[in-house]
Amino acid sequence: MTLFSLEMILFQLALAFCILCTFGYLLSLLIKRVILAKISTWVLAISFCFLTLGLVTVILNTAGLTNLGSRNFLVFFAWAGSGVYLGFQLKTKTRLLGAFISPFILLLMIAAASQEAGKSLLPQNLQSWLTTLHLVFAIIGEALFVLASCAGAMFIIQNSLLKHKKLGKMSRLLPSLSDLDRINHLCLLWGFPLLTIGIIAGAVFAGMVWKTLLPADPKIIWSFAAWVIYGFLLHQRLAIGWKGSRMAFLSCAVFILFLVSFLAVRFYFTTLHDFI
Amino acid sequence: MILLIGLNHKTAPLAVREKLFAGCEEKQNLLSDVLLLPAVQEVLYISTCNRIELVCVADGEDKTIEALKRFLAQNGSLTDEEAFYCLYVYREAEAIRHMFRVAASLDSQVMGEAQILGQVKEAYRQALKQNATGLVLNRLMHRSFRTAKRVRTETAIAANPVSVSFAAVELAKKIFGSLSGKKILLIGAGEMAELTGTHLIGNGAEEITVANRSSAQGTALAEKFHGKAIMLTDLDAALIEADIVISSTGAAGYVVTAESIRQSMRKRKNRLLFLVDIAVPRDIEPTADSIENVYLYNIDNLQDIVDENMAGRKKEALKAEAIVEEEVILYNSWIKELEAVPTIVSLRSMAEGIVQSELEKSLGWMQKLSEEDREKVDNLVQSVVNKILHAPVAVMKEESSEVSSKGIVDAVRQLFRLDE
Repeated sequence: MTLFSLEMILFQLALAFCILCTFGYLLSLLIKRVILAKISTWVLAISFCFLTLGLVTVILNTAGLTNLGSRNFLVFFAWAGSGVYLGFQLKTKTRLLGAFISPFILLLMIAAASQEAGKSLLPQNLQSWLTTLHLVFAIIGEALFVLASCAGAMFIIQNSLLKHKKLGKMSRLLPSLSDLDRINHLCLLWGFPLLTIGIIAGAVFAGMVWKTLLPADPKIIWSFAAWVIYGFLLHQRLAIGWKGSRMAFLSCAVFILFLVSFLAVRFYFTTLHDFI
Repeated sequence: MILLIGLNHKTAPLAVREKLFAGCEEKQNLLSDVLLLPAVQEVLYISTCNRIELVCVADGEDKTIEALKRFLAQNGSLTDEEAFYCLYVYREAEAIRHMFRVAASLDSQVMGEAQILGQVKEAYRQALKQNATGLVLNRLMHRSFRTAKRVRTETAIAANPVSVSFAAVELAKKIFGSLSGKKILLIGAGEMAELTGTHLIGNGAEEITVANRSSAQGTALAEKFHGKAIMLTDLDAALIEADIVISSTGAAGYVVTAESIRQSMRKRKNRLLFLVDIAVPRDIEPTADSIENVYLYNIDNLQDIVDENMAGRKKEALKAEAIVEEEVILYNSWIKELEAVPTIVSLRSMAEGIVQSELEKSLGWMQKLSEEDREKVDNLVQSVVNKILHAPVAVMKEESSEVSSKGIVDAVRQLFRLDE
């Protein structure tokens, strides 16, 4: 068996387990039983293991991470997202968070599956360890922001249930407000510096290739705006003490804003990042 | 036969329960006294604040019931009328069902409460210590515990709190996750606030501050929780520190205004704040609920949650009754099987006697055989006897567990002349 077919098998296994766990999570939300979410967390962990092995074979295949195509970019995003979520599961009891993050991970993987492997690779002239650095840190940073928004969305639901004095099955199922706020806090706290490193790496590389740190490119401008806004949120949290529902609401709003703009840029503009 | 005699909160008013409880508690050798009554073989005595019951295994139905009733009435100095109206008697399957329902907390005043099982277990421990139980009650108790466990795990009867103070604890957990390290502020030293405070501490909350108009009462309560007492005038500062506030003063106006909470939120950097207002008239201005990260619950809100949970328990109780019914059937068939046991034992020993005497008679010619062959003959005879007895024993067991042991047992005794 070649390394390439091994990579495909591992990806398909990861995808299968991801589909399984997404169904499990959504079903646990539907029938309001947390046990199903617990099982789904283990299923997601299996999917994560296959993704990890898959990425290792990709690295062996392409002799490093410098030549990631859009497919592997998406796979890496899914890997970072599930890794960050599973990491939080070691510390907090927020299994139901999976019901919010797993559909997102599944979408990334389906998007990855629709991309042909080895196609739309990074152009030769852009391959460098700096772009790898840029990519890895930016993706992990963004995965953390995704999780921050998921926790925020759950906070909004739980908050509205508690404010309306509805301590029903749904409220009992969802994690506590403090836990959700803590996840939002930690994700911003870690996501921001990681994204910063990613952006600096990208800027340095841009400076080397195009002789400007910030090329006038729609995607770069949007990403820079995202970085500024997340920085602002983190500042408000740490210095001013914004907490709870306001933070939850803002991180959700910002996330939706950027998701929409990302898709718009992806389909209606030509950018320097077209290979992604 | 299993008998259960007693009274509970449904049949007897508090005064009668108290009388009987006190009378029975005074008695040193209650269990051995019951065992001295004619025809009583095993006994167990259950007493909680809501029930006093004797569970017995006894022969001679009516006389025994009368004797047991008299025993209870004398101990509790009940009048004839009280004894007649308050005491209930359950026999056989009914007694088994009642015992299972009690252990599973289906017969409790607050259905699904957890203490009753512990109390029943303690009653059993006492009876075991005094050797008052035997085969039948031992199994009855083990089956009761099993039924209670099944009801707890297979139904959601005990899942959600049905008291106001526990509902407040559950809400606090939904807001803060873990309560460890959380600071509590009690405004007013009322009983309800104290109870809620106790539950919160029991769930991990650490610091308690008591704010009261009279400092003596506040200090007394604070000392009880190893907390500190403050005056009502220092409330604003205390609001900045606290995570959970429970207010229950008798004040006519608002003790805590929305504005003071709004200001404290700024100083506490918007940390979540859970306010429980169990006072009537209310202590905390209701508009405080609209402040971000503030969760205000008044007594009606908590009562609504309790009512909803109570309705949920009643629904779950239906499932629990089905489990009890299953267990009653299982236990009952074991009891019936038990009735055939003496006959089975005497049938086996009769057969054993015949085998022994015939083998002794044959000792003369068997001596010619080698050791090995003698053993073979032994085994042969044993296995023939076992094979012949197998069918009657099996049929007796089946018949008695499914229908009644009476007919088949009598037939076997007659056929094999077991009574001669």
